[in-house]
Amino acid sequence: MNNIRNFCIIAHIDHGKSTLADRILEITGLIRKASMEQMLDSMDLERERGITIKAKSVRIPYRSPSGAEYVLNLIDTPGHVDFNYEVSRSLNACEGAVLLVDATQGVEAQTIANANLALDAGLKIIPVINKIDLPGAMIDDCSLQLYSMLGLPIEDMLHVSAKDGTGVPGLLEAIVDRIPPPVGEASGLLRCLIFDSFYDSYRGVIPHLRVFTGEIKPGDRIMLKSTQKDFDVEEVGYFSLGLAQSGSLKAGEVGYAVALIRDAGEIRVGDTVVAADHPEVEAIPGFRLSQPMVYCGVYPIITSDYAKLGTALEKFKLNDSSVTFEKESSAALGWGYRMGFLGLLHMEIALERLKREYEQEIIATMPSVVYKVVSKNGDVLMLDNPSKFPPEGQIDHIEEPMIRARIIVPAGFVGPCMELAEAKRGTLASMEHPDDRRAILSYDLPLAEMITDFYDRLKSVSRGYASMDYEMSGYRAADLVKVDILVNNGQVDALSYIAPRDRAAVKGKALIYRLSKVIARHQFKIPLQAAIGSQIIARADIYPMRKDVLAKCYGGDITRKRKLLEKQKEGKKKMKMVGFVEVPQEAFLSLMKIEE
Amino acid sequence: MTGLYIHIPFCRSKCYYCDFYSLAGNTELLGSYVDALLKEVQIHSGMAFDTLYIGGGTPSLLDVAGLEKLAEGLHQHFDLSGLREATIEANPESACPAFMQAALKCGFNRLSLGAQSLNDGELAKAGRIHTSAQALEAVKTAIKSGFSNVSTDVIIGLPGQTEVSLEDTINRLAESGVSHLSAYCLSVEEGTPFACRPPRDLPDDDRQADLYTKACGLLKGHGFIHYEISNFALPGKESLHNLNYWKGGEYLGLGPFSASYLDGRRVKNIATLQEYLDNPLSCRLEEDSVSATARPAEEAMLRLRLLEEGLDLRLLERKYGMDNVCGLETRLEELAVRKLLVRQDNSYRLASDAVLIANQAFAQVIE
Repeated sequence: MNNIRNFCIIAHIDHGKSTLADRILEITGLIRKASMEQMLDSMDLERERGITIKAKSVRIPYRSPSGAEYVLNLIDTPGHVDFNYEVSRSLNACEGAVLLVDATQGVEAQTIANANLALDAGLKIIPVINKIDLPGAMIDDCSLQLYSMLGLPIEDMLHVSAKDGTGVPGLLEAIVDRIPPPVGEASGLLRCLIFDSFYDSYRGVIPHLRVFTGEIKPGDRIMLKSTQKDFDVEEVGYFSLGLAQSGSLKAGEVGYAVALIRDAGEIRVGDTVVAADHPEVEAIPGFRLSQPMVYCGVYPIITSDYAKLGTALEKFKLNDSSVTFEKESSAALGWGYRMGFLGLLHMEIALERLKREYEQEIIATMPSVVYKVVSKNGDVLMLDNPSKFPPEGQIDHIEEPMIRARIIVPAGFVGPCMELAEAKRGTLASMEHPDDRRAILSYDLPLAEMITDFYDRLKSVSRGYASMDYEMSGYRAADLVKVDILVNNGQVDALSYIAPRDRAAVKGKALIYRLSKVIARHQFKIPLQAAIGSQIIARADIYPMRKDVLAKCYGGDITRKRKLLEKQKEGKKKMKMVGFVEVPQEAFLSLMKIEE
Repeated sequence: MTGLYIHIPFCRSKCYYCDFYSLAGNTELLGSYVDALLKEVQIHSGMAFDTLYIGGGTPSLLDVAGLEKLAEGLHQHFDLSGLREATIEANPESACPAFMQAALKCGFNRLSLGAQSLNDGELAKAGRIHTSAQALEAVKTAIKSGFSNVSTDVIIGLPGQTEVSLEDTINRLAESGVSHLSAYCLSVEEGTPFACRPPRDLPDDDRQADLYTKACGLLKGHGFIHYEISNFALPGKESLHNLNYWKGGEYLGLGPFSASYLDGRRVKNIATLQEYLDNPLSCRLEEDSVSATARPAEEAMLRLRLLEEGLDLRLLERKYGMDNVCGLETRLEELAVRKLLVRQDNSYRLASDAVLIANQAFAQVIE
């Protein structure tokens, strides 16, 4: 066990984590040079977005120049704030972390967030400054930032170029020298951490495990602590570039176990695996069920596709157990599902995958956070759907979820960033100046503001320089109202939204304006209204379509005319019928895009 | 009913809105074109027709000899004993008295004249090469020569057109003695000069709607029946040949880019003029396969263009079979609920306020 090193690479987005992983695999000889770009990100969507969504890991045999043989387990971590909990679990499976910083960008918000998570997990941190081959590299500045912002000793810092491999052999030596080997007795009672899982259609859900004590092998009967359910182990192994079967996994090792687990909900990241005959072994601390923060309605465009969508969601959940879904019905959209996500990015990725990989034609409604609605009779309702809100007269007060956002921004952009945060109802908790060029702003912000366009706006007011990270920080009372949208005098429940009272009208006008642009003219006049209760706060009309007719239909070329009509009909299929009004998909996301 | 359409793809010059298959100039090829047509006629030898329509292009570019040769060939190879209507199109600048005399002599009993507008400014801006005076003169000559059924085309939505100028055009044409009038809303087609350089005073859809509504009212006042979306006729003067298209009847089209509908097959000849001249018998045909349920739907779409007569569902059931019509009936019912159609017993008609947005209904009617 002394020759095992379990480590991860943590970094802000685009600081070169995947490139470094590729280079390590290449230099250790596990893959041939450039045989495959960025091995660890195997999902198409991940590569497209440059984000690692699901943690994966790989076992790397490493022969040190000293001649010693090591086994390095590189555990990949998701790189976005939505997946913080998954990151912390992955970190718990390691003894050390490579903290990667882009020399041209410096320390960013997620650098700090991830570093803090790693320190909390008690990991040995190896600070690494990457991209030193680039002309804009500011190695000294980065070193100072790592020292002043995270307290990391300058002499510990390594300088590498993951792209061309410079410094990577030194990093491998640092990993085996500085990161401690795992401790824990293979002869002890079985205790493993589940830090990830994936779904195989033949073998069920396959958990990724870190064994802390004991040994797991085929034929063992294991128990999951959180559910107390037993399973028989059929196969264990570790991750080479694919799955490599092995006789057992012992204390300190990282690998997988096949135990014919059909229900993805059984395998919960952070859960502890013990031997079924020793249920008394204590769970590894820190487990919690991942809690969706953002919800939206997902509806089939064609109402009768509802059952098909349900089947697709079941399958989807096998691959991504952090989403939740349950049936809901909307007066406007018919039957559909309410889906829960870890955050906005998670939502966007999940919806995109539903469309692409699962070929579902869907409409997603405005995302919503979970509001705590306290009614006058003292009932407390947790509501993730504005259309479920009780009438205003019955509400005593509403509380909304808050976040603590940490924004790192160059000094020149502090003003615009503060203006933005304040416009989004943020209150400044603290401002620090780790050096004379950058500021760290800590804001308490409503999560609801965060899930609209806050991040995009932050990037735009700072010309891309600001970076941000956030964590949930509880609930706070706010003066919120529900605004209903009426299309052609019928309320469209899927368009209802919650807004601060003093901004409800401005938002309502902006939304009505946008709707008036995306809904096409019909044969009749369509009034669009925004209302709080019975009070109309905004109105616009879509005037009737005057002319849509094929004038000439003679000469006998009927085919051409019919094809034009078929094209028109095809366009209509992408619309959702709300009453007699054809509403395009983008209407349901209009609210997100409004500029106030 | 079976119709015969013959395409004459020659024009003296192309109008700025036109995307029909027709070539400017080349009139010296007209003689050999008639010969080519007559070769194509021979493959269909023996067919009988109820209506004949020679369109274009500009059929009035045919000289008397060419016209007579064509007519003779048609009579020789086809059974035209039951012919109820024979129309020939003419353009004002080439519709001379000699042409009209010859047309009458050849058995044509209906003349369709491309007047388009009686405003010289509008005509010039649309690339028309005649004046309003020539157009009115041609109508007069036609009637004087003995045509009892003269139709004129009018375009709604020409650049610079106003309600006043349109009213003048409609009134003067209606009073000139025409018995039929086609009023087409201008559509800017890809590849035409209007599409490449849209005139600034091109009326938009809303303006077109106003102009169209105006034209309908005026023509009604002159005693014309609005029998099809774009067509108006004095009682009994509806175009039989075009009615056949709208009622799902069969027809044979001859010439390049002409369409035929025979034995339930829609076929289009997609040869260019040169290819056609080289060998009219080896033209490439493009067939549009229409499924058993799409066919009645297509006919329904066409029949709904007939504003007075509408669509009798029973008739489609008899023609295509119950099974192929029931899906269509559901869609028609939906459209009645949406008030785009009006149902009366087993007949559907376009609602009067839905005529201008008929595509909304048609797109639903087709499969």
